[in-house]
Amino acid sequence: MIKLDYEHRQAGHCESGVTSNLLNYYKYKISEPMVFGIGAGLFFSYLPFMKMQHAPTTSFRVWPGMVFDMTTKVLGVKAEIHRFRNPKESMDKLNEVLDKGFPVGLQVGTFHLPFFPPEYRMHYNMHNMVVYGHDNGTYFISDTLMENPVEISYNDLMRVRFAKGTFAPQGRMYYPTYVPSYIDLKPAIIKGINKTANNMIGIPFPLVGVKGIRYLSKRMRKWEKNLGPEKASYYLGQVLRMEEEVGTAGAGFRFIYGAFLDEASRVLNQDWLKEMSLEMGENANKWRDFSYLGSRHCKKRGKPEQSYDYLADMLLECADREEKIFRKLAKIK
Amino acid sequence: MDDPTNPVYKDQRHGKSRELLYSYDENGKFKKTVGFHGEPDRVILQQAWDVFNDRIENARQKVIIGKVSPIVYYMEKNLMDPLSLSMLTGISIWRVKLHFKPFMFKRLNRKILQKYADAFNIGVNKLTKVE
Repeated sequence: MIKLDYEHRQAGHCESGVTSNLLNYYKYKISEPMVFGIGAGLFFSYLPFMKMQHAPTTSFRVWPGMVFDMTTKVLGVKAEIHRFRNPKESMDKLNEVLDKGFPVGLQVGTFHLPFFPPEYRMHYNMHNMVVYGHDNGTYFISDTLMENPVEISYNDLMRVRFAKGTFAPQGRMYYPTYVPSYIDLKPAIIKGINKTANNMIGIPFPLVGVKGIRYLSKRMRKWEKNLGPEKASYYLGQVLRMEEEVGTAGAGFRFIYGAFLDEASRVLNQDWLKEMSLEMGENANKWRDFSYLGSRHCKKRGKPEQSYDYLADMLLECADREEKIFRKLAKIK
Repeated sequence: MDDPTNPVYKDQRHGKSRELLYSYDENGKFKKTVGFHGEPDRVILQQAWDVFNDRIENARQKVIIGKVSPIVYYMEKNLMDPLSLSMLTGISIWRVKLHFKPFMFKRLNRKILQKYADAFNIGVNKLTKVE
């Protein structure tokens, strides 16, 4: 029986919430948007060849695990990361680490999570949560999506840690082992912003970053003609679900990123970052409008003048705004 | 936003948990609120569940008239696709697709049936029929 004195805080995005809570356990106060920004979490990718729930994958974030890796690396926090082949071995290792007194972050699939809200129980393998204790086969979980801490049994935990499918977690567990007493945030923020700007405008590949948004808008115009109205609306719904639902805290992380820029301007004492955060906020509201209009399509109540072409134009506008923002942010010093 | 009733969700269990949501207002402030999702978000979630339920029902009808094997029904019921089913059972994807045919399904031995049953978290004897 061990139950660590871990503070559960709700968060918008699971992975940066988990990272910020884990660092908070080691008496290092850092907010969720800050972790998200330093970890360079903002991204866009549209992968039509990779199907998820019978529709192309759209992602508004970087690969799972990158936010934690990047944040710990930049802040100088030492962390250990393990992946396993054998489920039994992974559970033994988890018990061992918990007994030593470290809260452990886990990557899990959401379909078999018993405490999860039923409407989200789809196959989504990029969810993160923290185990902070165990007692005779019962594990104490802090899931940032939930309001209160929860519990899970041994078998259920083993099942969700070895969920299969796209981005299978393979029992991935991670925990910080050493947090320095003084951390300088300034270079970390600059590094994070540079990385994000590079991810969004610097990668010469048409499916990711700002180019990815433009590519999606190009494809969206053809959906109704090529796929028929039913499937087109389902594909659109998939983009919107990825944007609004799966732990993005709204508008595909653009709100969180705006909050990060706001905080960064105060830490770095650079006023122009404050202006950028306002622009980011407006951009986020534009994405929000896009999902609002799109949801009317999913309900088959879309007006004819707000067709897929109209939505695609909105996406193009978002892409232009984001390109402008990140061109300016890339010049940060 | 703070609305516990759900006129959109068809399943009564849905929409009961409160989440942390960020927003941005005209004054240039980013706000955190703990609340329920608004109507547009519910519509798109419900759309996914409508499609899933349709697929499950479709598969059930096909199993009853003997067009496909019950594996297809249980696969749809667990929201899987052939690829993830093949990863979960350790059976290669073309063999999984072969087992979708009732003719091949009848010939399966107990060992392979057990693998499917484990993947779907049900008993072997339940695997041969649909509810």
